[in-house]
Amino acid sequence: MSYPNLSADVFWECTRNRSSYMVKRGHGTSQTIFSKEPMNLKNIHSRKNSGLVNEKAIGVMPGTDRGVILITKTSNEKNGQKPIKLFQKTELKKHNRKVYGSIVNTTAKKYYRPDLRADAVARASAILHSQRKQKGSSSSA
Amino acid sequence: MMRDQLGPTVSILGADGKQTGETTPLPAVFKAPIRPDIVQSVHTGMAKNKRQPYAVSVKAGHQTSAESWGTGRAVARIPRVSGGGTHRAGQAAFGNQCRSGRMFAPTKTWRKWHVKVPQGQRRFATASAVAASAAVPLVMARGHRVSEVSELPLVIANSAFAGLEKTRAAVALLKSIGAYADVVKVTKSKKTRAGKGKLRGRRHRQRRGPLVIFNPADETSSNVAKAFRNIPGVETSSVSSLNLLQLAPGGHLGRFVIWTESAFNSLNTIYGSTTEAGEGKKNYLLPSNVVSQSDLVRLINSSEVQSVLRPTKGGAKQKKGGYAGVLKKNPLKNKQVMLRLNPYAKAFAAEKLGSQKVEGSKERPGLTETFKKVLNSA
Repeated sequence: MSYPNLSADVFWECTRNRSSYMVKRGHGTSQTIFSKEPMNLKNIHSRKNSGLVNEKAIGVMPGTDRGVILITKTSNEKNGQKPIKLFQKTELKKHNRKVYGSIVNTTAKKYYRPDLRADAVARASAILHSQRKQKGSSSSA
Repeated sequence: MMRDQLGPTVSILGADGKQTGETTPLPAVFKAPIRPDIVQSVHTGMAKNKRQPYAVSVKAGHQTSAESWGTGRAVARIPRVSGGGTHRAGQAAFGNQCRSGRMFAPTKTWRKWHVKVPQGQRRFATASAVAASAAVPLVMARGHRVSEVSELPLVIANSAFAGLEKTRAAVALLKSIGAYADVVKVTKSKKTRAGKGKLRGRRHRQRRGPLVIFNPADETSSNVAKAFRNIPGVETSSVSSLNLLQLAPGGHLGRFVIWTESAFNSLNTIYGSTTEAGEGKKNYLLPSNVVSQSDLVRLINSSEVQSVLRPTKGGAKQKKGGYAGVLKKNPLKNKQVMLRLNPYAKAFAAEKLGSQKVEGSKERPGLTETFKKVLNSA
């Protein structure tokens, strides 16, 4: 980034205690701070999980009717100031294991946030699980 | 090459929301340090300066001729209303704990309502808030809907404001540049205020939308202010009198700002740079960043830092062993570790000594003939 005053570390220090995405639950020592960010795999407000602050981040959302949408960030150097170009969305509609495979292949295996690999797959798995038809309620098929 | 010399540039959008192809250099004020702490403390002070004094009546709770009954009547010595013939007689008065008594520490009109914030701090905070309005994560974290905006800072060409007189045209402009989602957010957020404020001219509360900043020297400026002022949440401001209360509402950095081209270009003349004072701020230099590289990872991995670090003690092997450099491995599971501790283990395993039967008599220790003899002889 060509702006010397902007960096992920500055952003985190600014948003750590004030962010419209923060959701606080519980009190005192049992308080957890969640995050509503679309690119937060664990929905937990932290430096590692924040999709807004980090230059590279992974998001997994439910697809339009089925499957998942994988979101990654494009180059911060190029598009850091361009919100409309900052996020890249890919719709994954294949078989479950292929979905996990393509998530891992496009991110962790290309050295793009390998630390989020397990979380990304887990989130995709949870979304796909929720989209499964209930056994009893299936129509005539 | 040219680009490097000029520093970063910002593209200018036309009325249709598309890039005009022209760019303008980024004003120096956008490189000011982003300091939420300064912005917050200055905002706290400045937000107090619009308050009007209020107080309870000085007479309240004292408009009675109550006097204490003294001791010996088996009641508290609090002043009591004299006389008879009404319920009020004999009731306690004056005290803050009494019904219809005075309040505790009655409010006074001479409370210190206003706070003087040093001019240098105010200017620092304003510069910081302007710089933060170009930071996408901060604008989004403030809650503005900017995902359809093509670039921050968002600069609109002067030509787009030429015939802009009607609010309808202003709405069309906001839609074409992708800023209308933020107005929709404001419209949806409108709620009735809780409490007495409803009766005092503050019936509703809503979010803040984009801030349109124009140049008062332009002929179009009065039209711009009028065209935008009736859109929910949209505020307008003159570039020559930027207000921290608008640039960082609630003390939170990252207002969504829409600049007119001429307002944006006048920022350098008004604020100057870190080395030259601007025309608008006499003898004021913009604050510089304490660190020139705020990206800590890049700082740590830079060749300047890495070249002066000593190598890891014990190399990679020891690095894995935690703080002490010793990783305790289980010799029963790790063959190499077992061999290091017990070289005989190799031969022991190869000859399968562990699974061989013990040769010799099958007699168990307690059942030998000798044992019986010894036992019986006693």
